Amino acid sequence: MSPRRFGFLGAALLAAGTAPWLRTWLEADMARHMLVQFPLLILAGAAFASSVPPRMRMAIAAINAHGLAGLLFCLLVSAFWMIPRALDLALLSPPVELAKISTLLAAGAALQGSWRPAGVIVQTFFIGNWAWMSAVVGLLYQDLSTRLCNGYLLDQQVVAGRGLVALAILIPTALVVVLAKRGMLLGNTSEVR
Amino acid sequence: MRTAVTCALILLLGLVTFSEVSAGFRVVTSEAARRLDVREHAPQIPDAMLAGAGAGATAYSLRSELARDGRIALVDFIYTRCESVCSVLGTEFQQLQQDIRKQGLQDRVRLISISFDPEDDADALAAYASRMHADASVWRFASVADPQALRPLLDAFGIVVVPDGIGGFVHNAAIHTLMPDGRLIRIDDLGEARIALRSALAHAEVASR
Repeated sequence: MSPRRFGFLGAALLAAGTAPWLRTWLEADMARHMLVQFPLLILAGAAFASSVPPRMRMAIAAINAHGLAGLLFCLLVSAFWMIPRALDLALLSPPVELAKISTLLAAGAALQGSWRPAGVIVQTFFIGNWAWMSAVVGLLYQDLSTRLCNGYLLDQQVVAGRGLVALAILIPTALVVVLAKRGMLLGNTSEVR
Repeated sequence: MRTAVTCALILLLGLVTFSEVSAGFRVVTSEAARRLDVREHAPQIPDAMLAGAGAGATAYSLRSELARDGRIALVDFIYTRCESVCSVLGTEFQQLQQDIRKQGLQDRVRLISISFDPEDDADALAAYASRMHADASVWRFASVADPQALRPLLDAFGIVVVPDGIGGFVHNAAIHTLMPDGRLIRIDDLGEARIALRSALAHAEVASR
């Protein structure tokens, strides 16, 4: 796909997550907010990153050896928006909402720019870390009998928690499948990229 | 090396942001954050015109009523058709009323239940009060007379009301301690009514010295 097309794709995904009435609908439910809007914004960020000129990408790669900085940023952004108070603030305060949208876009861009350079070991470490964190948060959402977000009901919290646990299982599984298909789990020690 | 510096910067920014949202790693929910803030800063609540219960109830200003009365008030927010959390609050307040009367504290502490439902008129409140066996000298019921004032009042107390889709509301419930000068000094959970009462008495002691 051409960079321009990636730009359009990014814009379309961003619009799907943030167009006024769509945004209202997505954010009205905790699971839709976290498990639909967040991924849309992350994918939009990744698409935008694919549309920037190579020179800019090279400049960023210089401070992002093995994708470490980018993946660290992704983990922190991801963790931050699982904090119930951060979600509440995003619903109530336009500046926080703007920060949410921009950090998730940036996380998507960072993921796109860091995934390949990271290589299998760092990729696996990153996905593993993300998965156990999401699983623990998802279990807490389901387990606590108190409403964590003032903006969401208890049953929405439970559904969001289940979704997070499901993602925490699905994404590492997908990674293993991809690695197996590429023949990387065959026990030869040479690392393929 | 440049990557190490970038990672360090990202971590530092992360620490600052996480610390900011969690009030120094002490809270993760809005509710906990609000309670911490109230205990540390005792914010003034905005004034609102309230309407009392029963026939002939006239509107009065919450702040001047608090000052005129001079007692510390334990306040909760309810609506009379509520069948879930308000019934728990109601039971808690009944228990509090009993404690206050038994220990002869009615000259120092009082109870106020404020309805946030526009449908709760004076009659509905009166019916609710008699259902609760409320003693008017200890426990008063009120609705917000001016719809404009409702939002700021709820915001000040940190009450979030969400329509539940079947004609009622879902709302967070707590026991709020108000000083006669209109400062909100403490918020306690349901089930911690006695703690709220004890701390109110401690404040009353200090105030009367």
